[in-house]
Amino acid sequence: MDYVLTVLLPQLLHGLVFGAALGLLALGLTVIFGLLGVMNFAHGELYMLGAYAGIVVIGVTHSFWVALIAAPILVGIVAAVTEVATLRPIYRREPLYGLILTFGLALVFREGARQIWGGDMRRILPPFTGSTPLLGMTYPNYRLFLLAASSVILLALWLFFTRTRAGIVVRAAVQDAEMLDGLGVDVRRVFTLTFAASGALAALAGLLLAPVFTVYPQMGVEMILLAFIVVILGGMGSMGGSVVAAFVIGVAQSLFSLWMNPQRVAIAIFGIMIVVLIVRPRGLFGREGVLE
Amino acid sequence: MKSVGWRALLVFAVLALVPLVPGMSRYYLLLAFDALLFGAIAMSLDLLMGYTGLVSFGHAAFYGLGAYATAIVMERGVLSIWVCVAFALLVVGLYALVVSYFATARRGIYFALLTLIFAEVVYTVFRYTQAFGGSDGIQGLPDATLLPGVAIDTPLRKYYLVLAYLAVAYVVCRVIVTSHFGRVLVAIRENEDRARFLGYNVQRYKMGACMVSALLTGLGGAIYPMRSAFATPDLMLWTESGEFIISVMIGGLGTLVGPVIGGAFFTILRDKVSSVVDWYFIVIGGVLIVIVLFMPRGLLGLRRLFARRTGGAAA
Amino acid sequence: MILEVDDVTRRFGALTALNRVSFAVDAGQIFSVIGPNGAGKSTLFNVVSGLFAPSAGRVRFRGHDITGLPPERVNRLGLAKTFQITSLFPEISVLDNVRIAAQSRAPESGRVSSLWRRPDVDATAGALLEAFGLTARRDAHARDLSHGEQRYLEICVALATNPTLLLLDEPTAGMTPGETRDATALIRKVVLERALTLLLIEHDMSVVMGISDRVAVLHFGEKIAEGTPDAIRSDPRVIEAYLGGGDD
Repeated sequence: MDYVLTVLLPQLLHGLVFGAALGLLALGLTVIFGLLGVMNFAHGELYMLGAYAGIVVIGVTHSFWVALIAAPILVGIVAAVTEVATLRPIYRREPLYGLILTFGLALVFREGARQIWGGDMRRILPPFTGSTPLLGMTYPNYRLFLLAASSVILLALWLFFTRTRAGIVVRAAVQDAEMLDGLGVDVRRVFTLTFAASGALAALAGLLLAPVFTVYPQMGVEMILLAFIVVILGGMGSMGGSVVAAFVIGVAQSLFSLWMNPQRVAIAIFGIMIVVLIVRPRGLFGREGVLE
Repeated sequence: MKSVGWRALLVFAVLALVPLVPGMSRYYLLLAFDALLFGAIAMSLDLLMGYTGLVSFGHAAFYGLGAYATAIVMERGVLSIWVCVAFALLVVGLYALVVSYFATARRGIYFALLTLIFAEVVYTVFRYTQAFGGSDGIQGLPDATLLPGVAIDTPLRKYYLVLAYLAVAYVVCRVIVTSHFGRVLVAIRENEDRARFLGYNVQRYKMGACMVSALLTGLGGAIYPMRSAFATPDLMLWTESGEFIISVMIGGLGTLVGPVIGGAFFTILRDKVSSVVDWYFIVIGGVLIVIVLFMPRGLLGLRRLFARRTGGAAA
Repeated sequence: MILEVDDVTRRFGALTALNRVSFAVDAGQIFSVIGPNGAGKSTLFNVVSGLFAPSAGRVRFRGHDITGLPPERVNRLGLAKTFQITSLFPEISVLDNVRIAAQSRAPESGRVSSLWRRPDVDATAGALLEAFGLTARRDAHARDLSHGEQRYLEICVALATNPTLLLLDEPTAGMTPGETRDATALIRKVVLERALTLLLIEHDMSVVMGISDRVAVLHFGEKIAEGTPDAIRSDPRVIEAYLGGGDD
């Protein structure tokens, strides 16, 4: 029982937070793919840029909270500019080009970050320290904050997608992008806003998790690979599926780390994906016919 | 065989005479080796990318596996090139079978994602397994032998080895591209759903294309240690896959010959650039972006834009 | 009976696109399916041709149960379909479009020998293009054809797979009245010449009434009427569905 409380439970909670971050990334990928038809290979880099933008803002304002607002906005702007300049011209082309282009963008962002901020690990200090006694063990306050923050963010997203007109339209458009044409909206503006918003969310995740992990140019690579696995598991086109699968992977990753070294963990996660693909080739929530 | 054409024979004749060029040092000959190797691999990737429309972000795994297969065989004292190649084809073939099965089960985008994920796993396995040498890989390999007593030890022999490989790869690709199988691949690229409704089992064709491309790439990987004397996990990095892709894009999708030129061009570019600048990856990424935006058909593709040929040649 | 649709239902989540639809098509018939927009006509075609399986019910073709079979298997059994939104191979020539369809029936297809052989189907392909007046355009890229020409090419491609049953999904969509008349006559001629059975979705009543042997009417996923064109024309339920329910 002791083990459960002092070791298993904290790791589980950590897995949920990690899963929430993965969920934000996977959701962004799913929405961008459903709407724009592009698999954004550079999404992990937007996550990474969120952390670095945070470092910059904190350097100027000395406030983590200001960074929490400013960094996603900055990255959102970068994403919007990128979308207009590089993605817009290629929407009508074969999907292969979008893949290669975002792959190139990922390289540029990653190496660019390395050039600007150097390749060594950086730290962002959590805005508050200390821990709270919880169920017989002490849990770091910042981690508790992360749990609360991810719940709030996910709830806000859920409300957005189910209760607001814009959200409902986006959700429907993810299943069938052509319906946007009939609605009389400025499709290009919707695309840019969506891309920017997804980027901002990824950046937010990156900054929030930064005090827990270290910050380095490659940090987006591992996240994007896991996000891809999440998207494959959840079934493309299913937004809810992405989030659920993200939590599954996040918790699995966290718990496996207790018992295996990082390489074995990666292989185990990969193994889960293979098993699911064999048993349910569409993914856990994939829809047949349409995007499958 | 008639599809191979006299132009190709002429090119190979010229390439065969390259070592006779005055000033051809050991360094340049080995650079030529790298250029042709890369070009051949890019060409086999074009079969998948340009003709079938599938982007493989994990092609480096086929390459690296071929190299390790050779290294493992030679480490044990078996130096015959035939054994190395046979073993490499077997290993790469099995891996490709598994990957292509999962990667082709769903839409095109999953192919890109799954090839990437599989390749990352392969990289992780080789990088962290001591039996394969860990991050150092397998070093210090001797020269391979063509026949007992005939070693492939001089740069000249190694050059002709890669030229033979390029010839084999070219013939295979050319024959396939002009065959019924190849035409179906193009149809799948153009409109996968329509192809299904015409009675084609699209997954099988995609798997076939992937297997051929993988085996040819693995063959290239198999002869790499015969030039470098080592096999390392870096050969399997996704950045290596990216370099294959960029070679195809530079040369021109769906032209076969274009990627060979693109691969050669890129190898030489890399040789010059990476020793000079630190931000080499920004150059690669930038080149990819520029090509997609402004020159999507690559160097050779531009020529096809103006020459509207009918039926016969690859579309 | 060449095609039997037996109590077919298809749901998409909360939406029931087809609800217990049943009918049968005899060999050599021209059978039309009509109904207002959203009635489920295309869904019906998708179920019959194998794009997705029905949620309930069965489909039988030439005695085989083809329920849930994938499109490539269904096509090989002799059922060919055209698409409502033109679906061709855009970057290859008109002739190649038809050739690739015809080649799927060549003996090499699906065998290892297809890796190096190329079946000669020029005669078959050429004849089809001739029948639809596309011979002059044989070398053009499919995407450069006019809309009407593309619709004809759609039919050529489907016919090249040598079907017994042809499913045409709004073949005259987007055509002018003159083009529609010509197309209807041409389709009728080809179907009779090749002794095909035709299952047709159409919006244009003149086409339907002109060539159909039998007509079924779908409304909100249910079959509300079936009979000869004349009987359907004067059926009060059908009239109400078109006036009350949908547009066109």
